[in-house]
Amino acid sequence: MSVPTGSTRTASGPLSRAALAWRVAVTLGVVGLAVNGSVRGNDVQWPFAPMSQFAFGVDLEGQIRSTYVEADTTAGTTVRVPLTAGGVGLGRAEVEGQLPRFVADPALLESIAVAAARRHPEWPRYTRLRLRQEVSDLRGGEVVSTHTERLADWTVLDPAGLR
Amino acid sequence: MRTWFAAAVPTRRIAVLRTVVYLFVIVDVLRIGNDPLAHGDVPADLYRPILLRSVLHLPAPTHGYVRVLLGVLVVSALVAATGRLPRLAGWVCLLAVLDWMSNNYSYSKIDHDQFALVLALAVLPTAGPARWRDGDDVRSEAAGWAVRMVQVGVVCCYLLSAVSKMRFGGWGWANGAIFTWAFTRRGTALTDLLLSVPGLVHLMQWVVLVAEFCSPLLLAVRGRLLWAGLAFFATFHLMTYLTIRIHFLPLVVCLTAFLPLERLVPRRLIAGAPTARRQAAPAQAAAS
Repeated sequence: MSVPTGSTRTASGPLSRAALAWRVAVTLGVVGLAVNGSVRGNDVQWPFAPMSQFAFGVDLEGQIRSTYVEADTTAGTTVRVPLTAGGVGLGRAEVEGQLPRFVADPALLESIAVAAARRHPEWPRYTRLRLRQEVSDLRGGEVVSTHTERLADWTVLDPAGLR
Repeated sequence: MRTWFAAAVPTRRIAVLRTVVYLFVIVDVLRIGNDPLAHGDVPADLYRPILLRSVLHLPAPTHGYVRVLLGVLVVSALVAATGRLPRLAGWVCLLAVLDWMSNNYSYSKIDHDQFALVLALAVLPTAGPARWRDGDDVRSEAAGWAVRMVQVGVVCCYLLSAVSKMRFGGWGWANGAIFTWAFTRRGTALTDLLLSVPGLVHLMQWVVLVAEFCSPLLLAVRGRLLWAGLAFFATFHLMTYLTIRIHFLPLVVCLTAFLPLERLVPRRLIAGAPTARRQAAPAQAAAS
């Protein structure tokens, strides 16, 4: 049987039993690990971590918390610290993921000032950082009032020397 | 079993899927999962490595490290997107992306929109050679398995999202205020409008939950039902983007694995076209 003209290559034939067997095994293994991740795993097991974005419950009579960081600068201004990749290199959700650490050890806020200085040398340096949460109270699932809670404060040791 | 796990598909479909996925990976790391570059400037005391990085002894990211990694990642993805060196370029790209994404998630925030894409990168190198010019009769079971795995990855994302909602949010998740929570934290003019309609966000929560639980049907249905299902999820992703600026694009790209992508290639580019070659290629070497 001749190879048809115009063909640059041929398709592979049917998979051998062994080739099919490992593929089926891998499929079941991947699905098993993924299911395990969501049913009883945790975040550090990524890529087999729980698919848990937006998975938690929010009580209709509960609260919604938005974390932010405010900073005084060497220019005498007060700014909202941009908790984004393009800002200080750390996202809001990442700060929230380590919130207990920041609260227990406010000196960690110094690292945010360092990251800002490295990523944006042209910005005035941060001199004092304030970690806050805006808390919205829900009634029947609707926001009825908001207030601010203070979580941690940190005075940067040597603003001019940040790098 | 063979027909479900590894039905022969035109290798041209894998060729197109590779181009789509590998080009998207470049966009993904530069525009979407681009925190790793920024993380290179964040002091290491905020670095909380996930298991994958600890096991592989990957270092805390630094300014230089993430830039070299980005170079390797982009070059391997460009080569793989052309269909050349599908195994070598594909495996290098997978390892680079694992390093990149595990960095992304080692500062205490995990996203699950990348799962199907990472799975796609893990299986595409196994599909063997494939070219845009391959005719309709050039088919491969190895390619079929790779396509099926990407589809399985997509369904895992949807179904396990619903499972996680029951685990963390409880059976009352859909009766809670999760959308109000998301809309309040990441609000736009559109979210304010949606929140002003009584009961609407409650209904939307139920629609999302039911759709996610029904997502395995994508693996079972064909034809119009499949198209309808894909259109639903594409619309869902568009809506989350318009409302809270979260797009799940890496997952949307993997949805294309459900499509007959081979039809995107103009007939004049296909070897042997327009008249389809009748003679099937000899089936000799069994693919590994």
